[in-house]
Amino acid sequence: MNRFFRMAAGGAALLAATAMSVPMAQAEPKQGGTLTMIYRIIAGHFNATIASGTPTGIPATQMFAALIRYDDQWRPHPYLAESWKIADDGLSVQVNLRKNAVFHDGHPITSEDVAFSIETIKANHPFKTMYAPVTKVTTPDKYTAIIHLSAPHPAIELAMSSQLGVIIPKHIYGEGNIRKNPRNSQNLVGSGPFKLKEFKPGEYIIMERFEDFFLEGRPYLDRIVFKKMSESTSRIIALETGKADISPFASDPQELTRLKKSKHLTLTPDGYSAIGPLNWLAFNTTRKPFDDKRVRQAIGYAMNKELMIKILYSGFAKRATGPIHPGSAFYSSDVNNYAYDMAKAKALLDAAGLKPDADGIRFKTTLNFIPGGAVWKRWSEITKAQLKKIGIDVTLKASSDFRSWIKTVAGHDFDMTLDSVFNWGDPVIGVHRTYQSTNIRKGVPWHNTQQFRNADVDAIMEKAGLENDLAKRKALYAQMQKMVVEEAPVIYINESPYHTIYNHDRVGNPPTDSIWGTSSPMDNVYIKQ
Amino acid sequence: MQFLTVVIRRSLYAFLLLLAVIVFNYTLLSMVPGDIAETIAGESGGASAELMAEIRRSYGLDQPFYVQLFGYVGRVLQGDLGSSYYFNVPVLDLILGRLGPTLLLVITALLLAIFTGTLFGVIAAQRPNGIFSHFITILALIGFSAPVFWTAFLLIILFVSMVQIMPLSGLADPLTESGTWQWYLDVAHHLILPVVSLSSIYLAQYSRLARASMMDILGSDYIRTARAKGLGQRVIIYKHALRNAVIPVITIAGLQFSHIFSGAVVIETVFSWPGLGTLAFESILRGDTPTIMGILFFSAFVVIVFNLLTDLAYRIVDPRIRHSGTA
Amino acid sequence: MSDAKNTTPSNGSPGDVDEIFVEHPFRQFVVMYMRNYAAVAGLFVFVLIVGAALFAPLILDLDPFEMVDAPLLRPGEGGHLLGTDNLGRDLFVAIIYGARVTMAVGGAAAGITLVIGLTIGAMAGYYRGWVDEVLMRITEFFQVLPPLLLAMVLVALFSPTLETVAIAIGVVSWTGVARLARAEFLRLREQEFVKAARSIGARDRRIIWLVIMPNALPPLIVNAALTVGIAILFEAALSFLGLSDPNVMSWGKLIGDNRDYLLDAPWTITFPGVAIFLTVLSMSLIGDGLTDAFNPKLRER
Repeated sequence: MNRFFRMAAGGAALLAATAMSVPMAQAEPKQGGTLTMIYRIIAGHFNATIASGTPTGIPATQMFAALIRYDDQWRPHPYLAESWKIADDGLSVQVNLRKNAVFHDGHPITSEDVAFSIETIKANHPFKTMYAPVTKVTTPDKYTAIIHLSAPHPAIELAMSSQLGVIIPKHIYGEGNIRKNPRNSQNLVGSGPFKLKEFKPGEYIIMERFEDFFLEGRPYLDRIVFKKMSESTSRIIALETGKADISPFASDPQELTRLKKSKHLTLTPDGYSAIGPLNWLAFNTTRKPFDDKRVRQAIGYAMNKELMIKILYSGFAKRATGPIHPGSAFYSSDVNNYAYDMAKAKALLDAAGLKPDADGIRFKTTLNFIPGGAVWKRWSEITKAQLKKIGIDVTLKASSDFRSWIKTVAGHDFDMTLDSVFNWGDPVIGVHRTYQSTNIRKGVPWHNTQQFRNADVDAIMEKAGLENDLAKRKALYAQMQKMVVEEAPVIYINESPYHTIYNHDRVGNPPTDSIWGTSSPMDNVYIKQ
Repeated sequence: MQFLTVVIRRSLYAFLLLLAVIVFNYTLLSMVPGDIAETIAGESGGASAELMAEIRRSYGLDQPFYVQLFGYVGRVLQGDLGSSYYFNVPVLDLILGRLGPTLLLVITALLLAIFTGTLFGVIAAQRPNGIFSHFITILALIGFSAPVFWTAFLLIILFVSMVQIMPLSGLADPLTESGTWQWYLDVAHHLILPVVSLSSIYLAQYSRLARASMMDILGSDYIRTARAKGLGQRVIIYKHALRNAVIPVITIAGLQFSHIFSGAVVIETVFSWPGLGTLAFESILRGDTPTIMGILFFSAFVVIVFNLLTDLAYRIVDPRIRHSGTA
Repeated sequence: MSDAKNTTPSNGSPGDVDEIFVEHPFRQFVVMYMRNYAAVAGLFVFVLIVGAALFAPLILDLDPFEMVDAPLLRPGEGGHLLGTDNLGRDLFVAIIYGARVTMAVGGAAAGITLVIGLTIGAMAGYYRGWVDEVLMRITEFFQVLPPLLLAMVLVALFSPTLETVAIAIGVVSWTGVARLARAEFLRLREQEFVKAARSIGARDRRIIWLVIMPNALPPLIVNAALTVGIAILFEAALSFLGLSDPNVMSWGKLIGDNRDYLLDAPWTITFPGVAIFLTVLSMSLIGDGLTDAFNPKLRER
């Protein structure tokens, strides 16, 4: 598969032709069949220009095409754009569209739609930094769009891929409030390899092959059934019995442990490096005693992260060491890794003036956690037990629903919270937001909720965000990672152990050949038989 | 006509009750921390402050509470339960889409419990100290004491995990074409464990109840008279006494209708049954206020209408009630 | 859920007891109770559980949240009587400590249920007229809302803590008690001894709480036993759905926490379930025993 992408950097016809001619270890892809995919949640709609999140992203990337697609080595390839070019000054990107591309209703996909989509994303998408430098999109002709930037923006290519940069038809979504457009979830008109056949809210989505898809001979599949299965036990049975073919974002340890034993299933952690999911313990750094770096560090040392990973994830997850996901090109391991050390933790707390009282308690505090998932609750209980050992009495604060947790954390009304934050490919999109002192925006989810302020970190991130030279950019981020870890506004625990589980007897070319995994078009997936 | 006055008065009561339910729901749920802006922002993976303010404005959340309340009451009375925050489709459509599976589950469970319960009770009543009678007593105690989700789990361990003859969850296999006879068969197969678990609580109660009322009746004068007339035991039990044993069971079943909805929440969650219960539970976790309000209203509506109809039906069937005041 | 059970006790009238056992009502009460072996067994189990809840934590002095061993050990493995749960916590210790919370929440919720139910029922039955009408409309109101759903909303609204859970359960389950109390009051207020009390100028409050209430108590006491059982089941259901206080160990929470391991480690669900089952069963048996003891005639039939 990687081979296929490397060779296929040219045009569409060539792309399809190469795929056919390259000798592969497995059988030739063939047309037909239904892929049954199960996931624990189902989104309310699939318009990825106004929402991020994987429940939206997986189906959205099947139904809407982006300009660019990525392989699993972080290399961009043409998709809806036949080619593109970033100007030498880094201040504009010229995109040349495929001329044979049409929407699901037969309307041609033009530069007008590209301009409309990018403007919609810029105005509505939660990731503000993604298209922030875009000043305007001009359309010199029907198949050429030029994205103008106010400053060099190395993240722009990534922002043009997968669910971050889907192209939607202007003639359908251009009227009225796009958030309330009923065609975000029904009678949807997309640009991708599959079209929406049926959506039963809360239950399933059926997508069917789009005959006039712009890549010749694609997609191979006739149908994708995307079905919600919220119970882990149900997913296990569905995969074991062969009723489901593929299950992305599987992270429940008992699910992984059990399914690993099945002979017909493959479990792979590949395909999540762009998502870059990190789990951490966050502090409200304006509240006492967490305003003291030593207290935060002490908690870092007191948490036995290896044990947590072992118990919570049965060893399936990997340690996270810093703000950038190990799957990213900008990852640096040269940071303090807070190896489990009770003595050090106690010494730091002593130094911060937090001495144990007669009952051995140094201070009382609270811990919030994301409601809904069993793992978060377990996580919070383990943290409570571990911090008790160094004399911190933690009361767990359960939020009964997701939005009250968001309100609590976004409203800065917490001491400590568990959180899961995604890198979203480029640090500019998913990393900066957590640490920039300019991004402390009370009430807004996933801003710098820790209210961490460090001028040096700010400066280095700003510089890295503008740097078009990869090596220089890497060096800047390495420095940034070291500083942030030392300051410890959050304690990094692990990468979410996302795995894609698929039935290798049935699924050919599994969608693990891209940094975007299942959040990338599955036009190349086929059903063996 | 007096009956007509009663009908009108009871209907008026029912309407006022419904109105109270709407006002209560709205007031209660507007106290929940967070609103749709957080929901959307949470689902979208973030949002800007301006966007959140705009979302609030577009949903009318920037208006004073009483304006929102009056607006809501007015809309509900016109049959508009609002739009789900999460799915962005009318709540009523969402509810009607989930109603079928819930009714299928609840009514099957209820009928099973009434039928088997009465049967068990009647059999047991014939030998008040026989083995079967003791079995009924024990069954009743077990049914009452075992948490319904635990019963469900034990059934799963037994019939899904150990003896693999039952499907684990859902309404039907997603790949079976709906509407075909295989599909109906599949639904029936998927229905067995949830129905058995749900009816277990009620089966126990009803058999006990049927046994008690049957024993009462068998000792009563008119059965003695029937016996004296030389009617056979079988005729007496199944023709005369049975009818009277079923009435209290059905009365209680009617009274418990709202409880059964509650039981359905748990059972549906255990079996991922795509009914109102799972929708309610998930909506609470998602903070989808219009959907929660809609479901609360809808289930209250069903219970109120059901009670009204049974009440009137009794008045028609049993003239004695007709003349006594409110029940 | 209590409605079906109520029908039996409310049939008997407490006056009958006095007629037969004039001399030693309490002794006769105990004798009648003791004749019901199942009820005695129920009482025994109940005392055992309450004893464990009260004293075991004092003797054991363990932390039920402490992760002591590998997760999901089978019963007996590694010296853990009932095995360990998904976080490697000793299931036996968790169940012992869970007894405290479960009993406390169950008891508190039942208490709230009884206080609300008795007050409303007594007022309605005693005053009749418009008071009755209003209170019964309120009762009806709470009867048409699905109790578990309403409790879930209440807990979600005020965040899951022990207090909220107990209050939510109380708020949704008092209607049965109110109806029962009302029926008893309607019946008793016409009795001679009440008329006598009224004729000597006793105040309403005195008549309600000191004259009628003691006579209305027997069926209500039986009901109280069942109410505790029902409240425990309620708490279990809420915990199972994840709406419980994460800082305390309860049986429902154990089941809810381990439900994902249903297929691989069924014992983590079976044992806490058995604990709930036995407790509610004991309450139920005690209720039966009390019914017998209050209504000796019923038993002889």
